[in-house]
Amino acid sequence: MEMDSLPNGNSATPNPSSALIPTAAAPPSSKLNQLAESLKLEHQFLRVPFEHYKKTIRANHRVVEKEVSSVISSVAEAADRDGMSRDEAVNHLSSLVSRLQGLKRKLEEGSRVEHLQAQRCRARLDHLESADAQNLSEWNNVKVKRILVDYMLRMSYYDTAVKLAESSNMQDLVDIEVFQEAKKVIDALQNQEVAPALAWCAENKSRLKKSKSKFEFQVRLQEFIELVRAENSLRAITYARKYLAPWGPSHMNELQRVFATVAYKSTTECTIYKVFFEPKQWDFLVDQFKQEFCKLYGMTLEPLLNIYLQAGLSALKTPYCYEDDCTKEDPLSQENFRKLALSLPYSKQHHSKLVCYITKELMDTENPPQVLPNGYVYSTKALEDMAKKNNGKITCPRTNFVCNYKDLVKAYIS
Amino acid sequence: MELNTTKDAFDRVVKKQKLSSSKSHEVIDQVGHEIQQALAQIVSTHDPTSLVDHKTILTELKVQLNAISPFHQLEGSQKELNINLSKFPKLLEKTFNPDISKAYRNVDFDYHTVNQIIANHFYQQGFFDFGDSIINEAGEPETAVAKFQFFEMHQILEAMKVRNLEPALRWVYANRRKLKHNGSNLELKLHSLQYMEILEKGSQADAINYAKTYLAPFAFLYKEEIMKLMGCLAYRGRLTSSPYAELMSPSHWEKSTEELIQQFCSLLGQSYNSPFGVAIAAGFEGLPTLLKLANVMAAKKQEWQAMKQLPVPVELGKEFQFHSIFVCPVSRDQGSEENPPMLMPCLHVLCKQSIMKLSKSSTRTFKCPYCPAEASVAQCRQLYF
Ligand SMILES: [Zn+2]
Ligand SMILES: [Zn+2]
Repeated sequence: MEMDSLPNGNSATPNPSSALIPTAAAPPSSKLNQLAESLKLEHQFLRVPFEHYKKTIRANHRVVEKEVSSVISSVAEAADRDGMSRDEAVNHLSSLVSRLQGLKRKLEEGSRVEHLQAQRCRARLDHLESADAQNLSEWNNVKVKRILVDYMLRMSYYDTAVKLAESSNMQDLVDIEVFQEAKKVIDALQNQEVAPALAWCAENKSRLKKSKSKFEFQVRLQEFIELVRAENSLRAITYARKYLAPWGPSHMNELQRVFATVAYKSTTECTIYKVFFEPKQWDFLVDQFKQEFCKLYGMTLEPLLNIYLQAGLSALKTPYCYEDDCTKEDPLSQENFRKLALSLPYSKQHHSKLVCYITKELMDTENPPQVLPNGYVYSTKALEDMAKKNNGKITCPRTNFVCNYKDLVKAYIS
Repeated sequence: MELNTTKDAFDRVVKKQKLSSSKSHEVIDQVGHEIQQALAQIVSTHDPTSLVDHKTILTELKVQLNAISPFHQLEGSQKELNINLSKFPKLLEKTFNPDISKAYRNVDFDYHTVNQIIANHFYQQGFFDFGDSIINEAGEPETAVAKFQFFEMHQILEAMKVRNLEPALRWVYANRRKLKHNGSNLELKLHSLQYMEILEKGSQADAINYAKTYLAPFAFLYKEEIMKLMGCLAYRGRLTSSPYAELMSPSHWEKSTEELIQQFCSLLGQSYNSPFGVAIAAGFEGLPTLLKLANVMAAKKQEWQAMKQLPVPVELGKEFQFHSIFVCPVSRDQGSEENPPMLMPCLHVLCKQSIMKLSKSSTRTFKCPYCPAEASVAQCRQLYF
């Protein structure tokens, strides 16, 4: 297939004019270009703190609206009420004044949080801007740590995540606070409690509705199932009327099947219904929640680590990696990595890339490959070195074949 | 990368947020002010039995508050803020790649394996508490062996940082034979460092004694190095301005440390670089290309999940090149056992199948596609990289 739109996808037609020049590798794309490409991958890095900031702004605003409106209607109500004594009126208004003062304090606290979150967004923009060709390896080290923290937070390894972030002084570059919110819900679901999950759904109602999320429905279903399990049919039916029926129009099939469980017991052997009673349903809810949570914050559904690790392994994977003599510097010489890469595609090369068996260095124009009379190929550097140490004698390290340095020929490999 | 647009857009969000927030304060103050005024009026009315007075004041307050119409006031600034709040994420989606998981294949990526890999990464880097912590939190079985071996290495390195070579030398003595087999003279390097330390900080006699005991055995194989080291004796106390000043450079410590890590990992059968670090770094370089590929394939409705080989190369730096891959310049096939690279007499290299094609199954001589030379199959020989 043609991939002309790809920057690195060299066209597949051989170019005879350049083939006379012995080259082993295409020039690596410039560091700067690479940097720009890699910064483009940082959507989540900016998006998550922004969503967090936005959420705080909206919540603060809602508090103001609610409080002011309730103060005003409270005045109206007092004005319309008959027989309120003077003292009552004084008390009433005084309580409203202190209520407004309380609101101001709340608003100030809210502004402080907003400010911190805005600063976090800025810190991340600055961090992206700080990357340049000189400090790229240092910057990438931080990126590895960011990715590790992201993985740990998603996997609920909070302590390790916090420790790593603190020790590297990068709290502003990772989303520990955001995940703390998720932790509450996840912990509760793992204890088979739904209240925090439902509260979370209520908090994010409009956005969940917009993305057609059925998470709340699934939580409600599970609560219903627990009532059936407890053989509390009456309550189960009341619950279903109140909380499940509204989902009827969009989830009729599931609803009918779930209602039918009332007729069975949790010990049912009927496979359609049995599944509802399995404890792994709760794990399923946790997974569902994590997905909704990630979507809401503009995160990838997979941990960043999985995405980068898979990309790296795909790019590194060759048929030679699974052979016994794969060098240990290749991650794919290790069982763990081989296992992860098993169902990934092999990488593809359009041009020969030759690595010297002795020095493990790339053989290219500067260090061209030379052929021994037995057909074995090594780099010029390695062979010159060997010749110098052994009075011009060359010994093939793989076959023990011996010859003279002058018997070698340069191979032209395009 | 141009981040100014993003930064400006963000600044606008913050500005609108501040405006909206001060508007809220203003409205609250206004409402509070009206209520307080009404309150003061009620308090100042003298006749406690008068019903009319405070009732009238309350009604007036109600009217007054409606006239302020706080929600109408809040609305304007809130609307502007909302516009910016929804604009910014859109800008992010345009400027950045909104979903890098498009390049992800939904295959079983066993997290136990990933956890083990991460723990080993921490151990290799010397972050033993992080390694233990993740093993603990994830409930994985301990990978004790690698941990304790790396633990020894990092103890040696910690000691070297404060110029204590004892643990390093102890390890070198214990592994003398294997180091020699690897062609490493780490032992001499460490003794030289120690000798220079003594020369700088200790007495002359101590330095001579040390040299006699520890450097002399190397005198035969490393004549020049030893001569230099002994020459330093003449400049004790003013080495930094001597011809041997270079021997005082901290870079000798750095190089020896590096060699120690290299040899230690090699004897452990471990890689010098953390394999996790290498694989992730390859991912940093490779992901942009894979994402473009995933987009092209999605547009052509081609299967991303099931392919056996990537259709395009993902160029990585040469530090990621671990295997020799021969690609025939004529057929673009990758060399293999059945189809190995062949050297023609003109020293150009093609794969066996291409040569068979050109020679019409070795029935005739043929011209090299890259030079005017003629060749027959019998003149070609197989290469081993
Ligand atoms: Zn390999
Ligand atoms: Zn030729």
